[in-house]
Amino acid sequence: MSSLGIETPAPSVASPVIANRMRGYARQDGRKGIRNYLLVAYLVECAHHVARMIAAPHQQGGVQLVGFPGCYPSDYADRVMTDIATHPNVGAVLLVSLGCEEFQRTRLKAAIAASGRPVELLTIQACGGTAGTVARGREWVEQQLVSLTAAPTVPVGLSDLVIGTKCGGSDGLSGVTINPAVGFASDLLVDAGAAVMFEETCELIGCEEHMASRAVTPELAEALRAAVRKADEYYTALGHGSFGGGNIKYGLSTLEEKSLGAYAKSGSRPIRGVLKPGVRPPSGGLYLMDTVNDGPVRFGIPNINDTQTITEMVASGCHLILFTTGAGSVVGQAVAPVIKGVSNSRTYHRMEGDMDVNGGTIADGVETVEDVGRHLVDAIIAAASGEPTKSEALGHQEFVLAYKTYEPLGPGCLPV
Amino acid sequence: MAGAANLIVLAAGDNVGIALRDIPAGDVAATLAGLSLLAEEPIPQGHKIALHDIAAQQDVVRLGMPVAITREAIARGHLVHVHNVASRYLNNDEDHYE
Repeated sequence: MSSLGIETPAPSVASPVIANRMRGYARQDGRKGIRNYLLVAYLVECAHHVARMIAAPHQQGGVQLVGFPGCYPSDYADRVMTDIATHPNVGAVLLVSLGCEEFQRTRLKAAIAASGRPVELLTIQACGGTAGTVARGREWVEQQLVSLTAAPTVPVGLSDLVIGTKCGGSDGLSGVTINPAVGFASDLLVDAGAAVMFEETCELIGCEEHMASRAVTPELAEALRAAVRKADEYYTALGHGSFGGGNIKYGLSTLEEKSLGAYAKSGSRPIRGVLKPGVRPPSGGLYLMDTVNDGPVRFGIPNINDTQTITEMVASGCHLILFTTGAGSVVGQAVAPVIKGVSNSRTYHRMEGDMDVNGGTIADGVETVEDVGRHLVDAIIAAASGEPTKSEALGHQEFVLAYKTYEPLGPGCLPV
Repeated sequence: MAGAANLIVLAAGDNVGIALRDIPAGDVAATLAGLSLLAEEPIPQGHKIALHDIAAQQDVVRLGMPVAITREAIARGHLVHVHNVASRYLNNDEDHYE
């Protein structure tokens, strides 16, 4: 296997003393959460305002707002909402329904209850409308917060964690500085037993052969090629995405070199499988998340923004997201804390309140890719020790769930 | 930032380095790890410099991955870009030049 990324010495992840600070919440399914959030989930856009009003007094007190806007049924949305509501970072769930939407709310409530979490379902049409539902919802939230805050914690190791990597608002330095640093961090995390996932198959066109060379089986190699081929066909049908003038001005010479900028986040370790939203990594190691619809082109662009992709990675169990930016994204996430790394010092200093790690020091010539990769791992350890990330401290709770379709994973996707 | 590196080589075995800042012709391009060479022509920030002579029809390797094929021989210290390399995937001739 040819190596992608820096030649790595035996990894040493921070100091054991620091790593031992990590504490979390043991869940019935064996997973551990690094947060004990109470989710308020609206099941149709018509219930969004009421859900927001219920959550508002505790917006920075561990109550997070998520939801699905659609009225028509969707197996995909049902599944993702179930995965989100039973995510290890979630300790209790309040469902807010208008009453006439098609969402399978009773099934969702039963799945949450079966996971051992307190759950309540309020139907606005049966609870006296806005005012009545808000009053009952807030009462339930306040009762639950007492036990959620007092819940016992257990030690957490890096091998308990699932980490997603994502980029948004990239610039000419992203592929030179912060994305390779995420790749180095990914190697350190994988070596420590964590599961790491990368995505953006539409931006991996040109990397498929290199990815295939890192696959643990020939069948998986073909599944990786097929995932990129599907993205290429999908975006070609949509008439979207290409390589051109702006990229050339930044110094990128080819489509495959542009793709390498995003691919660099995957580091150099073997690729153990292909995941789809809601499918969790069966063990530690590195995985590709396929976030492009299966079947004929429908529902428009597969991922309308960065937050939708992050939501899908969280549905697959990510506890934390490493998010890289050049121009300066500010997004967080409702269920998994987001750690933001930036590609250049100018953006870092312009938006320091939003940025957790500055990769601009690599462009400044004062730190190496490995140095910044270690800072990213330290930031993960701090976040998993209960310290709020910048986006959490600022109250960011982005969440997007839209209509999509997926078929089950093919046979070669998750070799054991 | 006196003494700081102005060049990065993303992986051992790469045959190009990336300029961290604009490097004028005649300046030394140097990495934090101690590799250095003379820039024979201006290398703008984010652009690639040949770390050694690369023959025609060879892979340009960045971060361990082939990212382009040379269309002509490129001498050490020269700019590696759309004028002397091609994609395996799509044409990047003049129609993409700004």
